Order: sequence, then C-alpha cells, then structure tokens
Amino acid sequence: MTADTADESRQTLDGDVRIGWLVRALVGSLLLAGIAGAVGYAADRVILLPAAVTFVVAAVLATGHTLARYRVWWYIVGTDSLRLSRGVVTHVQTVVPYVRVQHVDVSRGPLERALGLSSVVVYTAGSRGADVTIPGLPTDRADRLQQRLEQLAIAAEGEDAV
Amino acid sequence: MPSKLAPLSVPYRVAVSLSRFAWLLVVGTVSAGRGRLPLLAGLFGLALLATLAYQVAYVRRFEYELTDDTVDVESGVLSRRSREVPYHRIQNVDVSRNVVQRGLGIAELAIETAGGGQTEVTLRYLDADTASELRTSLSRRKRGERGADDRSEESGTAERSRESLFSITTRELLVLGVVGLDLRLLSFIAVALPVVLPSVSGATPLFDLFRVAPLLLAGLAGVALAVSMGQAVVSYYGFRLSRVSDELSYRRGLGREYSGTIPLDKVQSVVLTENVLARRLGYASVSIETAGYAPSGDAGGSQSAVPLADRENAYRLAREVESFGTPSFERPPKRARTRYAIRYGLGVLFLTGVATAVVRVADLAVPVPAATLLAALVLVPVAAHLRWKNLGYAVGDDHFVARAGFWSRRTQVVPFYRIQTLAQQATVFQRRRDLATIAADTAGGHGWTTPRAVDIDAETATTLRETLDTRLQRALRDRRGDRNGRDERDDSKAGTSRDEQATRDERAGG
Repeated sequence: MTADTADESRQTLDGDVRIGWLVRALVGSLLLAGIAGAVGYAADRVILLPAAVTFVVAAVLATGHTLARYRVWWYIVGTDSLRLSRGVVTHVQTVVPYVRVQHVDVSRGPLERALGLSSVVVYTAGSRGADVTIPGLPTDRADRLQQRLEQLAIAAEGEDAV
Repeated sequence: MPSKLAPLSVPYRVAVSLSRFAWLLVVGTVSAGRGRLPLLAGLFGLALLATLAYQVAYVRRFEYELTDDTVDVESGVLSRRSREVPYHRIQNVDVSRNVVQRGLGIAELAIETAGGGQTEVTLRYLDADTASELRTSLSRRKRGERGADDRSEESGTAERSRESLFSITTRELLVLGVVGLDLRLLSFIAVALPVVLPSVSGATPLFDLFRVAPLLLAGLAGVALAVSMGQAVVSYYGFRLSRVSDELSYRRGLGREYSGTIPLDKVQSVVLTENVLARRLGYASVSIETAGYAPSGDAGGSQSAVPLADRENAYRLAREVESFGTPSFERPPKRARTRYAIRYGLGVLFLTGVATAVVRVADLAVPVPAATLLAALVLVPVAAHLRWKNLGYAVGDDHFVARAGFWSRRTQVVPFYRIQTLAQQATVFQRRRDLATIAADTAGGHGWTTPRAVDIDAETATTLRETLDTRLQRALRDRRGDRNGRDERDDSKAGTSRDEQATRDERAGG
C-alpha cells in the first residue's frame, strides 16, 4: 500500500495527519473554552467551570471526529480518474477525471512542515469544488503523487480541458 | 496590419470618465460658496484637459490585430500591455451599444475566454460597422477559415447562411414582464405587511393603516408589475436568435443594444427555467452557460438564449443546442419527501420560537399572538410535496438532466462530455434515510447552481455516479476519435500541433 503505482487500490493518508488535525482541533477547543469562560464571567462571575466543561466536551468531540475522519479518508489513483472519499458528518466521494486536471500543487503549511507532511491540491476548471485537496502525505509521496497526476493529466490529453 | 479604435470614442470616453467625478463637482459647488467658484471652474478645466489628453493618448496607443492564430491587443498609455488570445480559446464575443453610443455610431466589443474572472479583451470603442465586421471575422477565424478575406465568398456560403431560430413577439415580451416578477418578493410583502402594519399604525394613529393595507399591497404589486414589464421591454425588445453555422447569434435591447455570438462547441450546459407563473401560462426561458464570463448576460457565465417562449418552442430551441430528446425524469424516493416535511416543520417551529422571543423581549403590541405562526404547519406537507414533485434527474443518450425548484424550476441539461468532476454527498440526515446527492460540476455557471440529482437512493446514487463517469470517459474517447479522424481527412485545418502551440502561448501570457 505504500507505493503510488498500484492502480485501483485504496490509498490512505499518513497516520501523522491525525496529530496535525488534533492540534488544530484542540486549539479550536481552547478558543471555544475562552469564549465560554468570558460568557460565564459576564453572566455569573465564574470562569473555570464553563471553560473547563466546554474544553472537555469540544476536545472529546474533536478527537472522535479526527479519528473518524482519518478512517474515512481514502483515495484511488485510478486508470481514468482520481477518486476520493472523505467527510464524517457529510460524506463526500469525488471523481476527478484526469482530462479535467488543470494543474497540481503541493502545499505545506507550518504545522504540516513540522510533521513532515504535505498536501496535494488538484485544480480543475469546474465552478464548484474546483480544487480538491489530499492532505497528510509524507513529502516524498506527495511529490511523487503530484508528478504522477501531472503525467496522467498529460497522457489523458487535456487539450480541451474546458 | 494593426487597427485602431474609432476617433469618436475619445469624446465619449472623456464624458464617461468625467461623469465619474461629477459628484465631486456637485459637492464642491455646494460646499465652496460663491467666492471660490472661479477656482473650482479652473480645477474643473484642468481635470477636463488632463482627461482629454489621457484619453487621446489611450485611443491613439491602442492597437489590435487579427493574426493567423490569435487576436493581439496592445494597450496602455504609461504601462503597456500586450495580450494574445488564440482564436480557439475564445468563448463568446459580445457587442453592445447604449443610446449615446448609437448616436455617435460607436460600439463596445468584448471577447471572453474561459480563464480569469473578467472579460479578456474589451475594445472601447469601435465604429459600429467595424465592430460587427470584426465579430464576423472572429467567428470565421475561430472556425478555422484562416486568412479568409472578409469579402471572399468561396468558402461555403451555404454553411454560413443565417437560420433564424426565434424572435420575440410583443405578447411574449409582456408576458415576460409578468412572469419576471419576483413572486417571492411579492409573497414576502403579502406576509410581512399584516405583521408590520399594526405596530406602525399603533405608533402613528393618523389613519387606519390596517384598512389601507390591501390597497397599498395592490398598489405595490401594480408598480412592481409595471417596473418588471418596463425592464423586460427595455432589455429584450426586438430579441432575435439565429444560427450561423456552428454559432448562435443574438440581438436584443431597446436603450442599450446587445448583440453577440455563442459558439455551440463551447456550450457547457443548457438551462430551462420556468417559474410558477410561467409554468401556469405554459412558458419557459432558455439560457446557455459557457465558461466565459459575460457581463452582458444575466449573471456570470450564463447567457439568456431565449428570454421567454412558449414551452414547446423553448424546448425545441434548447434541443437545437443540445439534442437531449425527451428526458424521462426519475423522482427521489418518497422518504425524501418525509425529510422535507420534517425540515420545513422544524423551520416553522424555529421561526415561531424566534418570533415569540422577540415579542416577549421587545414587548411589541401585536394583534395576534406569535404562536399563530404555527398555523403555517398546515402548509408544510404541501411545501414538502411540491419540492419533492419538482425534483428529478434523467440520464439520456448523451446528457445528464437535473431538475429542481418549485418557485423557479430549473432544468439543467449537461452533456456528459462537459462534466468536470463528480461528487457524491450524503449528510448524516441523508444517511439516516439511505439517501445521497450526486453533483455533476461543469465549467459553466456558478457554484451554487451545479446540476444535482438530490436525495436519491444511496445505491442508485453510486450507480449513477459510476454511470456518469463511464459515459464521460466514453464521450471523451468518441471526441478524440472524431478529432483524429477529422485531422487526418483535412490537415490544412487547425492541426493539433498548432493548437497546442497556441495553448502554450496563452498560458505563458496569462
């Protein structure tokens, strides 16, 4: 499952992506806890209790969501198209035919860089969901995937991509 | 040889750019007082001179040229820009003239391509005749008749002959005014008025607004109708649609006159719109979505091909563009309807809750308790049924057809070949009922009008997604085979290598 060459097989994201998602979710929970604390102070002069409860609830939900999100995420580099499946609350499966690929980016945020991960972004000319992101790939795998997708796009003769 | 803009565009351009500062002049005159008027006049004169000089320079330094493969435009006074647009990348070409421009005999020509959010090339302004000539030679070159002189008649006159498809009648124009009325706005007023008026009449007990309300409502409706009719007449007066070989060409407008071409091979989707009234009266409108950005159209990327025609005619014209036959629509399963009923019911409950809270908190004097809003629950099943009834999708020989909307029903026809991406979505609530939505994205239109088969059975959805994917790949293969065959037959026409070259140029230039 490590190689990107195996056609029609489900590829999963790197497990470390969970750490990145979790960190982001926990920061969000902290922020929520801060707001809850402020509201609590304004209403009843208590900070700690609402903040702590909010944080725990948000963190538990976020952790559950992150784990489920990782489990749900997969993609297939098929013969004619790239297929992805993602989303916990709203489950989305996307098919991106190679002919429609305009260009492929590899992007690395600060958090991703710390984890040694990259995201591959595939752009189409579509009006909605015109870009599709595959997050959480080790950098060399992301680079390989980018090259592979570009080759496939060229091979699919994207002359009339619109 | 490069061509120039019309000399008469200088005064018009000056007037346009000065009118942008007219408010400054008004504010200045009002606030300056008598003593400063000469100074103001001087400043104004200076501004006039500067604008004049700039516009003269702009028009003199603006050059365009039709080369073998591209339209080249060199423009700019201080910073120069040169742009090359390959013919085969052009989506549509539009010419428009407002009343003043018609008086001066000038016109604006806009060339749209798929990239970017705005018009790629705008020629402001050309001689009216030059503009229409340029438009014809652009479409001719786009078809690959390279170097064909404007006057040469040898290259298939039959092919270029104009076939009239549709011209709007006065009756249709007026019906368009009626149908074009935004019903949602009217119904909103009808609901809002009895709610708002009592509190107003309580505050100003000058006359009983309650009794005036029906009259007021009728008056508002009358005004709205008149405005809507006027609008329809002004923008669609003399609408004519015709077909010139593989392009549609239209002309419309009373004050501002629009004319343009829509190349049929760039059509992304065809949309038939019928609102409640139009359905009742048996009319429909057709719009064509291309990937180009069209400011003269109703919205980005969408061009009204036929503003209004009786349903038969509208479908005939739509089939002229995309021959999708007679789609047999598949409705979502009945459990989807239950879902809508629950959704609308919750909506009513929520609204009632909010209204009650507002009345409680703001201490409003209302004639009836806010809880009467619960009466709307009676409408919930009806609304759910109507939404469900108007939903549907069909898979034709070459097209995916999706239909949705009660107030304004949109039937979107997408050739398989134009599908960009496919998405299958299922929210938690959809999964509870084993439903899913399939969205077939195209490069035309805007994000929120993506053709979708909403709330269909999850298993059917998976099959539909796979079907659409296979059909797209098959359509692509067919097209490729077609093109190769054509190239072999006639390699004097646009060769693939030349096409690719032009594409590269565009990308490098962009």
